[in-house]
Amino acid sequence: MAQRWLQGKTVRKGAAGGSSAHTRSSTPQVQSTSTTVFGGGVKDPSGRTAEFMSMDDQCPVCKSDRYLNPKLRLLVSSCYHKMCESCIDRLYTLGPAPCPICDNILRKLAFTPQTFEDLGVEKEVAIRRRIAKDFNKRREDFDDLRAFNDYLQEVEDIAWNLIHNIDVPATEKRIADYRATNAALITLNIQREEAYIQSLKEQEEFERQEREYRANEARKAVTEEREEREKERQEIIDRLETSDKDAAKLVAKQREKAMKRTATRLATSGYGDMSRLLAHRNRGKVVQDLPHVPLQDNIDCYETKVHVRMDGYDDFFSEAVRKDREGIMRGGGYRVEEAWGRALRCAMAGLDVMPQSGLETPAILGDGDIAMAPPA
Amino acid sequence: MAVPTSSPDPAATPKKTPIYEASSQYNNWRFSPERLEVLRRTMNEAAVTAIRRTLETHEPGSSSDVSFLTADEEHILVKHYITKITPLCGLFSFPEELAATAVSYMKRFYLKNTVMDWHPKNVMLTTLFLATKTTNNPISIEKYTQRIRGTNPSDVLDIEFLVCQSLGFEFAVWHAHRALWGIWLDFQDLPNMPADWASTRKSQYEEALEHVRASRLSDVELIYSPSQIALAAMSLVFPAESDTWLSTKYPAESLHAIQTVVETIKTIMTQACKAPEVETVRNVDRRLRTCKNPEKVVGSKAYLARQAEDERKDAEKRARKAENVTQDDDPFGSEMKDTPMDDDDDD
Repeated sequence: MAQRWLQGKTVRKGAAGGSSAHTRSSTPQVQSTSTTVFGGGVKDPSGRTAEFMSMDDQCPVCKSDRYLNPKLRLLVSSCYHKMCESCIDRLYTLGPAPCPICDNILRKLAFTPQTFEDLGVEKEVAIRRRIAKDFNKRREDFDDLRAFNDYLQEVEDIAWNLIHNIDVPATEKRIADYRATNAALITLNIQREEAYIQSLKEQEEFERQEREYRANEARKAVTEEREEREKERQEIIDRLETSDKDAAKLVAKQREKAMKRTATRLATSGYGDMSRLLAHRNRGKVVQDLPHVPLQDNIDCYETKVHVRMDGYDDFFSEAVRKDREGIMRGGGYRVEEAWGRALRCAMAGLDVMPQSGLETPAILGDGDIAMAPPA
Repeated sequence: MAVPTSSPDPAATPKKTPIYEASSQYNNWRFSPERLEVLRRTMNEAAVTAIRRTLETHEPGSSSDVSFLTADEEHILVKHYITKITPLCGLFSFPEELAATAVSYMKRFYLKNTVMDWHPKNVMLTTLFLATKTTNNPISIEKYTQRIRGTNPSDVLDIEFLVCQSLGFEFAVWHAHRALWGIWLDFQDLPNMPADWASTRKSQYEEALEHVRASRLSDVELIYSPSQIALAAMSLVFPAESDTWLSTKYPAESLHAIQTVVETIKTIMTQACKAPEVETVRNVDRRLRTCKNPEKVVGSKAYLARQAEDERKDAEKRARKAENVTQDDDPFGSEMKDTPMDDDDDD
């Protein structure tokens, strides 16, 4: 997802995280002392601008700080210099005027709220957003990886130049040229992006409906059950009134019927929805379920001959371990059954192996001290 | 177990290797008695020839009056130091498995080395220390040597790698005492066993265990399998139970062969498992002082010569290696080719 990362957009992972869009209620909203509403700034995924502010804020122009003016709000100019709202009102209400710090001509409406503490970041994000609007090609738009990488490199070059004010006119020309030659593709990709966002929204919506539906079902089931129980009680009372049979028997019979009904209801409902939901989740991806193959070897551990008794042995060797109530001696996962099993296997180990005889096998020659022998 | 094993059907389980027969003990440390004999003799002869040559080169004519040890005498000395292992283990309260492992290492080591090169006292200390590690009862070398008078860490560690090499780095040993425990447990599963059988026969079991311990002084573990040794010890104490147990495990036609083997081991256990007499050992040890390989005596002329020789060889080797390195222009290999990077993080 290199490209989307480049665009500085938040990529939503899966559809499950969709609800997070509305949880940022704690985003600090700054009271404005100015009559002008300043737009812009870097928005978070919910579309709000979280403004950066700290106790050390001080307007570089009028030197008023948060201690003197708790409502101090610093805004960022298009040349990335900070100024407080009162200074902006004072300097720019009468029209465009030079920046008191760098003498660039600024307008009042070009001031934006500050999001990041570091204005370099602020600038970079803004620039990247801007160029990502035009440079929105995707991997699929290229024939090979090389071309795509070259394209990404070009985007990075442009961003770098703009951020560091290198060859700004030439870079701007490059952007304009690019926009002119790729106009159709840019629009197409914008549409694609919109479609993608739309599909995400739809999926979210679908899931919400699903949840709602299930909640409804559950509610309905509860109501139904209550009604049924009410009806039963009424029925019993009616029967007891009209019939002359044994009361206890009647009640028992009715109870039985009710139990059966509940059982059938439980069986039919519940799992149906679940499976539907699961099917929906797994839509489009086929997970192959390979059977587990245990380790295969050709070793016989005397399984046919060894059998560890389930009820244990009268064994004074392992007595201490077995009687250890706190299990300190079994701390490492020691199981006396395994020790027994090992001993039993050892008892069978090579019982029928006949000893070698004669000298037929090649002799292991004592070659003196091996450590000092020259390497082969 | 009480389950009467219907003879294992060879067709149903095709050619599975029993786990013991996949072990290094079965494959590399199993000998016939004759071969053990030949092995020890040839090694002794080779060692005597080599030492005689060394003595002659440094002091001509000096080897004529040296009486070298015979293979049997070497073996006596090894046996003597094997008997020292158990008391040492008692000192450290090491488990039985550790002692048994150290004994096996000793025996295996002296199938490839001679007493005249490496004195069994040092080798015994090293094998025991090695066994603490291979049987998962670690102890620090300082603690280990502190408790044994007159040793320092280098005595133990200097030949440790040599011992490992001689063992072929095959440290796993199948022990007879574990097999004995297994048989003891399985006896309880025999049909018609009284409920208090095990609890009333503890002392007999100890007796059988003593037989297994005694068998460590002999060569049986290099000839027979651990279960056979254990069964022999068991049948010395519980003859009836042993026969019944064996017959539940194997079909009647193969019983005879196993019983013959067990009888042989029983004979060895009762007759040939004695520690060598101290006087004999002292004698051998005295003679060993005169016929030690001078190349292994630290500070001797031959030792220094040998060291110089080794160093010269090492230097040669290093020089050759350095030459090879300088042939390549760059130790990190030639320059990387300009391959297009595969940028795959976008999908």
